[in-house]
Amino acid sequence: MTASPISHTLRPLAVLALLGIAAFPIYWMVVTSMTPSSELFAERPNLLPSLGQISIYGEVFRTIPVARWLWNSFVVAAGTTVFSILLAILPAYALSRFRFTGIAILGFALFATQMLPEAMLVVPLYSIFGKLSLLNSLFGLILANTAFVVPVITWIIKGAIDGIPLEVEEAARMDGCSRIDIVLAIVLPLIAPTLAAAAVISFFHGWNEYVFAQTLISSEQLRTASVGLASFVGELSTPIHAVMAVGVMYTLPAVIFYLFAQRYVVAGMTAGSVKG
Amino acid sequence: MSSIRFKNVTKSFGAKEVIRDIDIAVADGEFLVLLGPSGCGKSTLLRMLAGLESISGGEIVVGERRVDQLPPGQRDMAFVFQSYALYPHLSVRRNMTFPLLMQQFQWWYHLPLVGRMARNRIEKRPDVVTKIEKTARILALTEMLDRFPRTLSGGQRQRVALGRAMVREPQVFLMDEPLSNLDAKLRTSMRSEITALHREIGGTFVYVTHDQVEAMTMGTRIALMRDGVIQQFGTAREIYTDPANTYVARFIGTPPMNLIHASLSGDRASFGSSQLRLPQTYTTRAEVLLGIRPNAISIGQKEGAVPGRVVIVEHIGAESVIGVRLDEARTAHEADQSMDAVMVTVPGYTELAVGDAAYLSFDPAQAVLFSSTSGERLRP
Repeated sequence: MTASPISHTLRPLAVLALLGIAAFPIYWMVVTSMTPSSELFAERPNLLPSLGQISIYGEVFRTIPVARWLWNSFVVAAGTTVFSILLAILPAYALSRFRFTGIAILGFALFATQMLPEAMLVVPLYSIFGKLSLLNSLFGLILANTAFVVPVITWIIKGAIDGIPLEVEEAARMDGCSRIDIVLAIVLPLIAPTLAAAAVISFFHGWNEYVFAQTLISSEQLRTASVGLASFVGELSTPIHAVMAVGVMYTLPAVIFYLFAQRYVVAGMTAGSVKG
Repeated sequence: MSSIRFKNVTKSFGAKEVIRDIDIAVADGEFLVLLGPSGCGKSTLLRMLAGLESISGGEIVVGERRVDQLPPGQRDMAFVFQSYALYPHLSVRRNMTFPLLMQQFQWWYHLPLVGRMARNRIEKRPDVVTKIEKTARILALTEMLDRFPRTLSGGQRQRVALGRAMVREPQVFLMDEPLSNLDAKLRTSMRSEITALHREIGGTFVYVTHDQVEAMTMGTRIALMRDGVIQQFGTAREIYTDPANTYVARFIGTPPMNLIHASLSGDRASFGSSQLRLPQTYTTRAEVLLGIRPNAISIGQKEGAVPGRVVIVEHIGAESVIGVRLDEARTAHEADQSMDAVMVTVPGYTELAVGDAAYLSFDPAQAVLFSSTSGERLRP
C-alpha cells in the first residue's frame, strides 16, 4: 500500500487530534490543580499551569490523608493482581488443553459473570461478607475484585496458551515433566507477555474500583483513593483544585505501573512468534 | 536391552478403529521404520509407544518391561518431533540440558530464586556440561549453544532436537517424520547423519515416515502400514523384492511395480497372445496379476516380444522412464489412479518417442504373482 501525499500529511494530524482529545483532560487536571480558586472561574481560562502554585500538593498531603488512601488503593490493586493471576492460570490451562463434559458451559459461565453489573451484586455481597467478617477489610475488597477479574483474565490467558504448540508440551512430557511442571516450567515463561497484560488489567481494575470500595469499607483508615476522591464532593463546597491535585496523584502510580508493565507486553509482541 | 514388542495392540477413537491388531517385534539396536501414506496410523502407533497416546488394547513391551501404562517420562524413550518442538524460551544449551535437569528435578526448583539457583547448579555441573558439549560437537552445534531456537535455521533446529534426544542416552529413539520440514538437499544429508548416529550410539530407533526412500535407506526393518493395519513387515530388500500384496508392490519403487492382468496355468502366465514362462509351477489356475518391476523389463523394437505403444517418456538424467500401453493386455494401475501403461526404466536417454511401437521382454525370474481378487501374493 502506498500512501498518497495527502494521507501522508493527514495521518499524523489525525493521530495528534486523537491524542489531544485523550490527553487534554489529564493536562487540564494538572493545570486546574495549580490554579488558585479565585481564578478558576475567570472569564479567560488559564491554559498554562501556574507553577508557583505547586505548593498545593504539599498542602493537600498535610491536610488530607492522601498517602493513606493511595497506599490502600495500592494494596487492593496489587492484591487483586496477585490473586487473580494465581487463580486464573490453572483454569485457563484446563480450558485450553483438557476436553471434558461441560467445558462449554463452564466457559460460558465465566463470561456470564461479566454480564452482571457490580451495583447489582453489591447488596448480596455485602450480606455474605458480613457473615464471613470480611467487611471493612482490604482483604475482603481484594477478594471481591478478584472474583470480577479472574473470569476475564482466564480467557485472556487461555488464548495465549492456545497459541503454544502442543508438541512443545509433549516434548516436555517425554523429558519427564508432570502437568504441573509443564505449566510452571514451559507454559508460564512462554506466556509471560500475556501475564503482563493480565497484570495490567487486574491492577487497573483494583486501582479504579469504586462501588465495592465504597460499600464494603466504612473505616476512614481503610478508604481507597477512588472513594477518598469522591468524598471531596461536599454538600456546601467542593475544593476543586484539591480534588484535581489528588486526582493527579491518583493517576500517576497507575501510569507508572502501566509504563513498567507495557515494556513486557510490547517485548512479547515483538520478540517473534512462540513457535519453536 | 531395548527390544520392542507390540502384542496385539489396538487403538480406537470412539467407534473408529485406527490401529488394528499390531503384532510385531524388533530386536535391540534395530532401526524400525513405520512407513505408510498419511492417515494410515503410523504416527499414532509411534505416539502410543511413546505414551503420548493411550492404547485401547494389547501390550507394549520394551526389553523385559511392560510400558504401555507408564507415563511418557518413565519409558526411557526420547521423541524427535516433526516440528522440532524446541522450548522457545530456552537457549540451545538449556534446551539440551532440560531432559537431564528433569531427571533430578525437585518440586522446589520451581521457586523463583532458590529454584533458579539449584537449576543453575545442575546446568553447570561438569558431567552435564561435558555431555552437552560432546553432543554439540557431534551435531556441529558448538557455535550455537547460547543462541535461541528462533535464530536457527530448520536444519539447525532439527539437530538441536536430535541433541536433546541424545543427551538422555535413552533406550529407544522415536522420530516422527523428523526430516519432512527440511528442503530436499538437507534432507538427504540429515538422512545419512541419522543413520550414522544410529550406528554410533546404538539404541533402538523407531522412525515414522511417508517417504519410501527414507524407509528403504535407513530402516533395518520396515513396517508398511495402511488403514491401521501392517501390510508387510520385513527388511527393505524383502519388501522390495518379495511384496506381500499389490498394495506393497505399488507403494514401494519409483515407478512402482507393474501389475498386468494375466491368466495362470501351471508355470505359464498368459496375456493376449503373449506367454511368460515362470521359474516355478503354480497349482492354482486362475486370473492373476503379474507383477514386474520396471527395471526387470527390457524394451526393443524387435518382433516376438510383447507389443505395445509408447504413451509417455520421462528423462530423469541417469535413466529414462518409458510408459508403454500394451496392445493385448491391460494393467491394474487404475486402482491407484495411475495410467494404464507398463512402466519401463532404461539407463541413460532413449530415442523412443510417444506414439512409437515398442516390444517388451520380461525377466521371468523377477516376476511375482498376485490374486486378482484379493490382491494377496500367490506362492507356488
